[in-house]
Amino acid sequence: MKVRLICFWGAVVLLICVAALLFVPSRPTLAQKEVTSPIYRYRERVATGYYEGYEVSPRRLRAVMKMPTRGRGILTYGSASAMVQIRTRLPDSHRGLKFYYRNTCIECHPQQARNIHSERAEITCRQCHGPEPIASVNHYYSPMNPIRRHAYICAKCHEGANAAFAGFYVHEPPGTALSTRESFPVLFYASWAMLLLFLGTLAFFVPHSFMVGVRELSETKSFKNLIDQWALPLFQRFRENVHRFFEKKKTQKNEDKNAS
Amino acid sequence: MLLKRFSRTQRLSHLFLMLTFLIQAGTGFGRLFITTDFGRSLSLLFGGYETAIVIHFWVGVLMIAGFGVHAIYMLSKIDWKHPLESILGPDSLVPNLNDAKHLLQRIRWTIGKSSSPKLDRWAYWEKFDYFAVFWGMPLLAITGLMLKFPLLTTIVLPGWAINIAALFHRAEAILAVSYIFIVHFFIGPLRPSCFPMHEAMFSGSVHLDEALKEKPAWVERLKKEGRLERSMAKPPARWFRALYFIFGYTALGFGLYILINGIYYSRYIRLH
Repeated sequence: MKVRLICFWGAVVLLICVAALLFVPSRPTLAQKEVTSPIYRYRERVATGYYEGYEVSPRRLRAVMKMPTRGRGILTYGSASAMVQIRTRLPDSHRGLKFYYRNTCIECHPQQARNIHSERAEITCRQCHGPEPIASVNHYYSPMNPIRRHAYICAKCHEGANAAFAGFYVHEPPGTALSTRESFPVLFYASWAMLLLFLGTLAFFVPHSFMVGVRELSETKSFKNLIDQWALPLFQRFRENVHRFFEKKKTQKNEDKNAS
Repeated sequence: MLLKRFSRTQRLSHLFLMLTFLIQAGTGFGRLFITTDFGRSLSLLFGGYETAIVIHFWVGVLMIAGFGVHAIYMLSKIDWKHPLESILGPDSLVPNLNDAKHLLQRIRWTIGKSSSPKLDRWAYWEKFDYFAVFWGMPLLAITGLMLKFPLLTTIVLPGWAINIAALFHRAEAILAVSYIFIVHFFIGPLRPSCFPMHEAMFSGSVHLDEALKEKPAWVERLKKEGRLERSMAKPPARWFRALYFIFGYTALGFGLYILINGIYYSRYIRLH
């Protein structure tokens, strides 16, 4: 009786705890702040929309960056081509592209179109990346810059979005692709772990169930009758016919030999 | 003669799990496949894309509560005077060395190289079924709550944790649905030895002959302990049998509908 009472009240308390979870409000005070990284908040101040020199350090970083790994191969790139190819810090990321105004975003970025925002919420590219000229994601004044992305982009729909929230990969790479090991290693290993778990479970239990099924079927009376009355006589007749066919051929060959 | 196998509480727990699982599978797959015809028609069953997530969430909350209640129930079933014997004993669902032996012997039996293993109350596949749900539910619950409350989650975790949570939630759901609708549905109602349905989970009892054939060690133990007579059960009423046959086959049909369409339309979706 005591155990039952404990179980009952335990269950009631648990239900209340779960229900209470739903009423925890979001905390907008933690959001909408300037940060230097997606994880750590930069300083305790009200965002004004103006970006001062002390907030980030743009002076040490030039607006157009050189990519150190480029140009190491046999065919080196000049500074102009590097500017065209590495577009992560340009005020107009599509500057210099031929026939740019005739294209749609998806024509050049087909992989980027496959994301949960556009597929589920039908959000268009420009709703996040802004109107022309579209600044590079890491350009200092870009609304997509990680220091203010949460406040200028995410918070449009996700009220109270903080800087860590903006660290969500909207354009997620394919989980099991080898290139993901470099760009998003946690996703790569998690994807492979789940895939192996899935394949391992089914690879064992599907043949196991099938074999048990066959074995059980062979033990049922009706199946035994089916085998004894139909399958075995049919197989026997087939074997006899095959045997007779080869016998016939053999004798024919011998006869031909004797005749020659 | 019928032998009692499951108590009323256990059968109600299974019924609860069955209903909530089917609803979660329907609403979850409806949303996962929403870009396909299958997903759209499935989520329409649950009131559309937006309503499906509300149902999915509240049924998920119900499942979490059910899991908590079940955990308390299991703890209350342990004999706390002899906890080790109780947890590792033959009536426990905790796997032991015998299960590994039974597994190997049963594989040999399927190819005619050995006799069928003398199983006790719980076979190794039943233990796997139980623990698959036991570890799967917390994983789905935690990742589900992370996805439902991303702003709260990112107070303590970085944003990419939401990507990982989405991957785990979907992959685990697909694994659970595939396992239940392929393996469990075959072992339960479609296996030749218990076709057209393994009624124990609904009626609560099994035929003594059937138990002697599949779980002889359990029957022997009941005899030895003098509990066999007390464990006899009455046959279920005809209306009740009809009811659970209809219910069971409806669930089976719904499961197969999700499984076949899920396999066919799998090329149009992504796991994360």
